[in-house]
Amino acid sequence: MTILATEALTKRYPRVTALDGLTVSVGAGVTGLVGANGAGKSTLIKILLGLVPASEGSARVLGLDPATQGQEIRRSVGYMPEHDCLPPDQSATEFVVHMARMSGLPRTTARERAADTLRHVGLQEERYRPIGGYSTGMKQRVKLAQALVHDPKVIFLDEPTNGLDPQGRDEMLRLVHRIGTEFGISVLVCSHLLGELERICDHVIVIDAGRLLRSSAIGELTQASQVISVEVEEGLEKLAARLTETGETVAVEGRSLTVQVRADETYDLLRDAVVDLDLNLVRLEQRHARIEDVFR
Amino acid sequence: MSQPTGVIHDIGYRHYDGPRLGRGAAAVALGVHSLRGTFGLGRTFKSKIMPFLLFGAMMLPAVVSIAIMALLKQAPMSYTDYAVFMQPVIAIFLAAQSPVLVAPDLRHRVIPLYLSRPNTIIDYIGAKLAAMIVALLILMVVPLTVQFIGELLIDLPMPLHTHEYLAALGGSLLNAVLLTSIGLTLASFTPRRGLGVASVIAFYMFTLAASAVLTGVLESEGYSDAASWSILLNPFFLVNAVQTNLFGTQPTEGLPFPPGAGPALILLAVVALALTGLYARYRKALAA
Repeated sequence: MTILATEALTKRYPRVTALDGLTVSVGAGVTGLVGANGAGKSTLIKILLGLVPASEGSARVLGLDPATQGQEIRRSVGYMPEHDCLPPDQSATEFVVHMARMSGLPRTTARERAADTLRHVGLQEERYRPIGGYSTGMKQRVKLAQALVHDPKVIFLDEPTNGLDPQGRDEMLRLVHRIGTEFGISVLVCSHLLGELERICDHVIVIDAGRLLRSSAIGELTQASQVISVEVEEGLEKLAARLTETGETVAVEGRSLTVQVRADETYDLLRDAVVDLDLNLVRLEQRHARIEDVFR
Repeated sequence: MSQPTGVIHDIGYRHYDGPRLGRGAAAVALGVHSLRGTFGLGRTFKSKIMPFLLFGAMMLPAVVSIAIMALLKQAPMSYTDYAVFMQPVIAIFLAAQSPVLVAPDLRHRVIPLYLSRPNTIIDYIGAKLAAMIVALLILMVVPLTVQFIGELLIDLPMPLHTHEYLAALGGSLLNAVLLTSIGLTLASFTPRRGLGVASVIAFYMFTLAASAVLTGVLESEGYSDAASWSILLNPFFLVNAVQTNLFGTQPTEGLPFPPGAGPALILLAVVALALTGLYARYRKALAA
């Protein structure tokens, strides 16, 4: 099922071309939109929401044309902007109820949905306090809640992990993944950090300077290049030699050894080699090739 | 040991397939929300002080007038002059509460969240304008109506001032529309609330002074025609002039307003200019 698609979409501003003949198609699930700052991610979202007209080309969101059916699209879409967008003097509950009503939910329904949604994004008792006193992580959750409160079919998230510490980042990414899977809402998530999207996306689109660099399923990117990293106390060379004998591809990287995973036997061979040589194993971990490496 | 009486179940995410109201309903909800905001309802106690204090001040002449009617059997205070007489209070209300409506959304960049929903920027501006117009109407019409009810209940040795009361209601509507378009437009040009308050008050003080000084100078130089136009620089006198010409009531302080449709056209032009400015301001915010 195609959630949205663009066809030779171009957006020119007086001084800069933000999108340059972009043709992409996004299916259900979680899709990552990756690009450096200024690659055209935010412009693409604005066009898809029907807020900014395209210079050339066309787009479809849920089968609707943003140029003429923006209102119908915005009824079924949620949007979490990159920038701060919360009034500090209101509580999260008040604010999300208000935004639910702005999406056309009746008053009582708006209250119920706001309470449910805030619980789902993980805001507890603090939701009754003014937003001004919230941490960045809590604010990001409120921003996400207002995008979800009217139960959209698709949700656009612009840099949802911005300004979060590593733990907050993990929690936000888990939440985004849950929205795409458990909640059954398709997600288009923008990020300039390629690495973090590989953990949650089914599909990744990479754009640069408004042009499509690559669009592919996440499996294609990372499966082919699984690597194990091994660290032993002494005898790294012996281990490397033994593994090479058995036909594995290994490389010494400083104090650790990287082994290309050929098939499942690679794990057994590695274990046996370490035992046979009587080495002290310090570390053994799977290292996914980063999306960065694939696109570099 | 007591048994647990309830269990919390995680029922997971629930989809919503109930009714979704249209643009109109959302705009009305925003209007009502904003109107409540102008009187500080649903906000902190602090934000209620100013509007209710000013509302109290607006009521004072009506209450005194009723007392005078009841005790001295004298005519009530002029309905058609009420707004001109109370103009500082109305101007302060406008200055204090216009930024409350527009500044926070601009300052905290909430506008994109409204625009990512079905409603357009026109709906947003319309709801804010309607909220302020209704707020000003409440401020001006309630005292007039209370005084009129008082006049109805007290047996005065003179005919009822029904025509003046109705003319004043019409004037209140004109006043509300004019002041709202000026106040919201000036307030929307700055995301800072304090600056918004200052700019609206400064604008009012300027028109007040300019109207008085210019009229005085022109009159002393013998240009009485030009002087009658320069009075209209003050928005309250402009509305009073339109009200006088439209309903045939007495002008405030017997001022020699220019007759005919001139003042009404000026009023329309000012409202149109202000609303164009307001729209342009939000178009700019939209593009950002």
